Amino acid sequence: MSSRTNGKVVPLENLGELVRDGESVAFGGGWFANHPMAAVRQLIRAGRTGIHAITVVGSVDMDLMAAAGTLGHLSFSMVTLEAFGLAPNVRKGIESGSLPFTEYTGLGLLIGLEAQGRGMPYLPYRGPFGSDIPGRYPEIYATTHCPFTGEQLTAVRALQPDVAIVHALRADAEGNAQWDGTSGPDVEMAKAAKRVIVTCEEVVDRQVIVDNAHMTKLPGYYVDAVIEAPFGAHPTSHVPRYAMDAWELMDYAAAASDPAAIAEYVAQIREETEEGYRDRVLKGRDSVLSALVDAAEVIEGAQA
Amino acid sequence: MTDYEIHELMTCRVAAEVDNEGVTVMGSFTPLAYASYMLAKLTHAQDAYLVGFDAVGMAPVQLSFTGAEASAYKGAVCRWGMLTEINSIHLANHGGVEAVSSAQFDGSGAINLSAIGPFDAPKVRLPGGAGAAEVIKMYRKMVAYFGNHNPRTLVDKVQFVTGTRWKVGDRSREEAGLQPGPIVVVTNLAVLVKDDDDRPFRIESVHPGVDVQTVVDSTGFELEVPADVPTTAEPTQEQLDLLRNRIDPFGTVKFDFVSGRERLSYLKGILDAEWNRAAARLS
Repeated sequence: MSSRTNGKVVPLENLGELVRDGESVAFGGGWFANHPMAAVRQLIRAGRTGIHAITVVGSVDMDLMAAAGTLGHLSFSMVTLEAFGLAPNVRKGIESGSLPFTEYTGLGLLIGLEAQGRGMPYLPYRGPFGSDIPGRYPEIYATTHCPFTGEQLTAVRALQPDVAIVHALRADAEGNAQWDGTSGPDVEMAKAAKRVIVTCEEVVDRQVIVDNAHMTKLPGYYVDAVIEAPFGAHPTSHVPRYAMDAWELMDYAAAASDPAAIAEYVAQIREETEEGYRDRVLKGRDSVLSALVDAAEVIEGAQA
Repeated sequence: MTDYEIHELMTCRVAAEVDNEGVTVMGSFTPLAYASYMLAKLTHAQDAYLVGFDAVGMAPVQLSFTGAEASAYKGAVCRWGMLTEINSIHLANHGGVEAVSSAQFDGSGAINLSAIGPFDAPKVRLPGGAGAAEVIKMYRKMVAYFGNHNPRTLVDKVQFVTGTRWKVGDRSREEAGLQPGPIVVVTNLAVLVKDDDDRPFRIESVHPGVDVQTVVDSTGFELEVPADVPTTAEPTQEQLDLLRNRIDPFGTVKFDFVSGRERLSYLKGILDAEWNRAAARLS
């Protein structure tokens, strides 16, 4: 904690009050890395519904919220459980028509966020010509031309989430946030959103941030709330603190395609605190999840 | 003749597309693609510039499900985020190779990673393409790989175009401001290449033991069959040693070639080995 003030620091239990039903929320992280999972679980505990989730490469975060009835809409460029298969509850929602969705191309989504972050109504780029995606969404993608050369370009409309939730390594009470490993789309999401919530492995004194200033990717003036959430990306990774928990993800994937089992999985999360979750799932395993990071090998003797 | 498995031959053939020019980008942990990049960097393309996760200028790493991300950062010279990456690699025309796979692929160079059946009410909702729609258009080479070459995957026309090469021939690509380069498809049967907008894919080579007619019959789109089709080069002993002992000792690449019920137990076996190695560090 800051020696002077608690500033923007709030407990995870307050997260439900910071996000309202029906709002659009951009969730950071990508692949099986660094999704703000403690925040996802807390939104489920708070009973939030109708959330319009925005993800670039989502995984268990999106599937769990789809299973828990948290989502009202899903905007994404990819959602997958990778080695553990397709995301069963996202699939079910879209295939049954119960989950309205918007499929972006990956660059289109990032450029929409960038446009908003730069205060532009849209940005042009040499787009995914030939893709069927832009034609599906004339409210997002349009064809435009270079005013100087006439070259055909793709315009992407600015995308402004109501809220961005990202998970950092550490932040101080002003909200200055640092990452060491994968930050994915976290910074561009935060710059585009009306309100920004940073969860982090630890809240630190400002001097710790100053001493490592080169690691600050998000300055505090963007940030509205800071929440300390150790293992807050679990079961996804937060490198270099811990690797993805493939074993918990395997259990999740097994439960996710069975309606009774996934209902039980969600009920369990609803009735426990985040601390209770950590005690239940991580007990005696947290040190191995960290050791997996240490054990990961560069091939020795090879030139970089 | 060296003893090898088909995923090893495919890995070596994809690796051959990786060179010292431009940037090779690694997206989701797709073991065959990752192994190919590492193999290239340890053999013929030591100056290949690798980007994986947000780690830029990576050293070659050993593959594992839980460690691929952490290892990427250990030998990297720079750490970015997604927006910087697309602005600095994709949109800046520095993308060299990123091998992709998809549920459907057709003879125009289009991929479907979106939906089987109607887009709005699909029979199977697929994961989506992430950056693939832009990558396969913008990168110097489009490299795609398919572990099961059949006419349901290599189709006449994809049901939904998540993305496509768009301009294929070198001249039409350069006129559109794109880097010139071919489409190379590596399957468990053959290598197919397209480098002309107006001509179909041609069979570049068939793998040892595969006849040309099998490839034609297994492909849902038209193929040009040269009078003389060579055989794909087999992996060398050096390549196999690197793959088996240094790049992929846990056997992650083979996972995508294991089907049905064996798949989960195979995965558990790898994860047990990863866990045990990490746990041993604590004792």
